[in-house]
Amino acid sequence: MPPPAATNLGYTPPDGGWGWAVVFGAFISIGFSYAFPKSLTIYFKEIQEYFSVSYSEIAWVSSVMLASMYAGGPISSMLVNRYGSRPVVLVGGIMVCTGMVLASFGTSIIHLYLCVGVIGGFGLAFNLQPALTIIGTYFQAKRPLANGLAMTGSPVVLFTLAPLNQFLFDSFGWRGSFLILGSIVMNCCVAGALMRPVNKRVQPKPTNESPNRNGGGEEAESVNTGTQSADLLNEESQTASKGQSNVHKLIDISLFKHRGFLIYLAGNVIMFFGFFAPVVFLAPYAKHLGIDEYSAAFLLSIFALVDMFIRPATGFIGNTKWVRPRIQYFFSFAVSYNGVCHLLCPLASGYLGLVVYAVFFGLAFGMLSALLFEVLMDLVGANRFSSAVGLVTIIECGPVLLGPPLSGALVDIFGDYKYMYYACGVFMLVPGIFFFIMHYYNYKKLDEEQRQSVAVEMKTSEETVELKMNQDDKTVDAADG
Amino acid sequence: MKLLWAVSALLLSCWRTDASTAGFTKSPLSQMKLIDDSAELHCEVIGNPIPEVQWWFVEGEEPNETFTQLFDGARNDRVQINATYIVHATSIIHLTSLTLDDSGTYECRASNDPDRNELKKTPKIKWIRSQANIIVIETPNIVTEPHEVSNQTSAVLSCNLTDSSLLIKGSYWTLNGNILEDSVSADDSPFTVHRLDKITHSNSGTYECVFKTEPQVKQTIEVKTLPHVVAYKHSEHGNENDKGVMVCVGHGHPLPTDWGWFKEEDGNRKQILNGTGDKYEIKSTPNKTTLTINELSIQDDIGDYTCLGTNELGPGSDKIHLRVRSRLAALWPFLGIVAEVIILVTIIFIYEKRRKPDEVNDGHHLDSCLDCI
Repeated sequence: MPPPAATNLGYTPPDGGWGWAVVFGAFISIGFSYAFPKSLTIYFKEIQEYFSVSYSEIAWVSSVMLASMYAGGPISSMLVNRYGSRPVVLVGGIMVCTGMVLASFGTSIIHLYLCVGVIGGFGLAFNLQPALTIIGTYFQAKRPLANGLAMTGSPVVLFTLAPLNQFLFDSFGWRGSFLILGSIVMNCCVAGALMRPVNKRVQPKPTNESPNRNGGGEEAESVNTGTQSADLLNEESQTASKGQSNVHKLIDISLFKHRGFLIYLAGNVIMFFGFFAPVVFLAPYAKHLGIDEYSAAFLLSIFALVDMFIRPATGFIGNTKWVRPRIQYFFSFAVSYNGVCHLLCPLASGYLGLVVYAVFFGLAFGMLSALLFEVLMDLVGANRFSSAVGLVTIIECGPVLLGPPLSGALVDIFGDYKYMYYACGVFMLVPGIFFFIMHYYNYKKLDEEQRQSVAVEMKTSEETVELKMNQDDKTVDAADG
Repeated sequence: MKLLWAVSALLLSCWRTDASTAGFTKSPLSQMKLIDDSAELHCEVIGNPIPEVQWWFVEGEEPNETFTQLFDGARNDRVQINATYIVHATSIIHLTSLTLDDSGTYECRASNDPDRNELKKTPKIKWIRSQANIIVIETPNIVTEPHEVSNQTSAVLSCNLTDSSLLIKGSYWTLNGNILEDSVSADDSPFTVHRLDKITHSNSGTYECVFKTEPQVKQTIEVKTLPHVVAYKHSEHGNENDKGVMVCVGHGHPLPTDWGWFKEEDGNRKQILNGTGDKYEIKSTPNKTTLTINELSIQDDIGDYTCLGTNELGPGSDKIHLRVRSRLAALWPFLGIVAEVIILVTIIFIYEKRRKPDEVNDGHHLDSCLDCI
C-alpha cells in the first residue's frame, strides 16, 4: 500500500466542489507557464531583423525565460509555504504582464532578455508551483484525475496561443502584440483569484477517506480511528509531522533524505535530457525527409491534439482502484514507452510513418506529463510537495536547457536525425527501467513499514483496552466494595 | 696486390649499382587545341640521383629539325614551367593564349648523368626524351540562328558547326552554365536545335550550344527579356514614428541596371536617393532594391508605392501598399482585456466574501490557517 503520509494532512480534502474551480484555475496557470515561452517563437524572426542580431541571440530570449522559470522554483516554493498559493499566483500574473508591457517598449535585445526572460520567467514560475501545490490540498481521492485535467492546460493554451499570436503579429506588429499578450497573461490573476485556500476541518468520518485503497477495510478503519497514536508511532508519519513543522520553515531540505524523492530526482534528471528535444525537432526532421512545411506543421498539430486528449484520460486511469495504489509503476511504464517510441522513430518512413509516430509520441508525452507531478505528490505527500517541486525544478533546469542544444549538436555532427532519436530513446528508457526497479524496492520497504506500524499500533490499542478493562474492574470492585 | 684491386673493383661496382638511370613514369600527351586556349603537358621521371627535366620545342622535319629550349616565362610570358625535384622529378609546362605558331612537337628531356651538360659530348646519348604534339587549330565557325533574342515570346535556337574536320560525338545546350539535361544528344550531326516555346524571366539568360569534339567548341546565344520585378510583400506594415522598409527583387536577363521608387499621388512623384530631408533611403543592387522610410507618419506615408526596374530592353514594375499603424492601436485591446480581468477578479472575491461568513457560522474550528488572506 502507498504511504498514508497524505492522509496525515490533518484534514479531509474536499475532492470536489470548489476543487473543480481550482482545477480550472490551475489549468490556466499551468497552461500559460508551459505554452507561453514556446508560443513567443513566432515573433523571433521579425525581432531578429529589427534589432539586427543573429538567430542564436534571439533564441536566448526563450532560453532565459525557461531558465528563470525553472530557477524561480525554490523561491516560489518558499513563498507558497509562507503565504499560500493565491497571493503568489496573483503576483506572478502581474509580473509577467509588467514584463511583457515593458518589453513592448524595448530598445535593445538586452532589454528583451531582462523583461521577457527574467521578469516574465519568474512570473511564470510563480504561476506554476502554486498551481500544482493547491491541487494537492484540494484533492486526495480524485487527485490523479485533477492533475491530469490541470496539466491539459499546456497543450490547450499552446493550441490557442499559436494562431492567436500569428493574428496579433499581422495586425499589430511585435510591439503591439507584446502589449496585448501582457494583458492576456493577466488572466493568470483570474486563475489566482479562483485558488481559494482550502478549509482545513477535521471530519470524523474515517471510512470515506480511503475508498481507493485495496486491502483489509478493518485495518484501514483501525488505522484511522487511531490516527493520533498512529501519528506518534508510524515512522513515515513521524517524518510527515516533522514535515508539518517544516512547513513553517522556508524550504524543506530534509527531502533529500526521503527515499522516494531521491528516486524521482535521479530518474528525472536523466530523463529530461531526452524529454523536449524530440518535440523541438519533429518539424525539422519531417522537412529533412522531404515533407513540405505545411504537412510538417500539421504533424505538430496532430501531436498536440493527441496530447490534449490523453492527459485527462491518463488522469482518469491513474485514479482507478487498480492503478492508484501502484501509480509509480504506471509512471515508469509511461517513461519507458516514451523511450521505446523514440528508438522506433527512425524506422518510420514517409509521411504516413511520421503521422503514426506523432500519434504514439503524443500518447507517450501526454501520459508522462499528466503523471509527472502526481507521482511526486504521491511520494512525498501534499504537505512537502511545494518544497519538493521547487527543488526538483531547479535541479531539472540543467537537463531541460541542455537537452535540445545537445541533440542539435548530435544532428549537426552526424548529419542524420536518427542518432539523436536513439540517444533520446536511451535517455528515456534507462530511467524508465530504473524507476521500475527502484519503485518495486520502494513499495516493498513501504509495505514493511506499514505492517510494522500497524503491528505496533495494534499492540498499543490492546494495552489501552487492557488498561481500560482493569480500570473498569477496579471501579466495579470499588462499587461492589 | 691483385686481390686488393679485385676487392676494390667489386666494392666500387656495388656502390655504383645504387645509381639507376633515368626513366619516364609519365610522358606528355598529344593534344589538339583552339586558338587562345591553353594547354598543359606533364612529365615525370624517376632515377637516382634525381634527374633533371628540360622542355624543348621541335620545329621542322627530320633531318632538318630545329630545337629550341623553353624556359619559364618564354614566348612573352605565355610559357610557365613548374618543376619539383622530391624523390622523383616532375615537370609541368603550361602554354597560355595559344597561337597557330605554337603548333609543333614538344619534347620532355631528362637525364641524371653527371656529364649531361658537357658541351664536348653529344646530348642525345646522355638524355632520354619523350615527345608530344600540340596542334592549334582555328576556332571552327558555328553559325547561330538567331544571334540574339530580344523581347520575344518564343524562339528556336540553332547552331551549325561548319567547316570543321573535327569528329563530333554529340552535343548539348547550357543555360547560364547549367547543362540542360533534355538537350543532351549523342547525334554526330553538326546541326543542333533548342526550342523555347515560352520565353519568361525564368528561362532567359545566356545559352550555349556545346559540341562534344576534341577540343570542345561552343557558341553563345543571349536570350533577353524585360525585367520581372516582384515585391517581397505587396502589403507592408509600419508603426508610427518607426521606420518602414519596402523591398523589390528583379529577375530575368539582363538584370535591371536602374531602379526607381515612386509614390502614387494623382500621378507619379519620384524619390531621390538620400534626398527629401533624411526621410528616404534607397539601396539598390542589380537584383534587389530597398526603400527605407524613417519617421513614418499616418497622414503622409500611407499609400501605394511603385518600384521600377529598367534594363536595356525596358522597364518592369510592381506596387506595394504601405499601412501605418498608430502607436495607440494596440492600446485599446490591452485596456479592454485588463478591464475584463479586473472585473472577473472582483466578482470572484465578492462571491467568496459573501460565502465565507456562512461557512464560519458552521462552528468548525479552523486549524493552523496558514494561507488565509
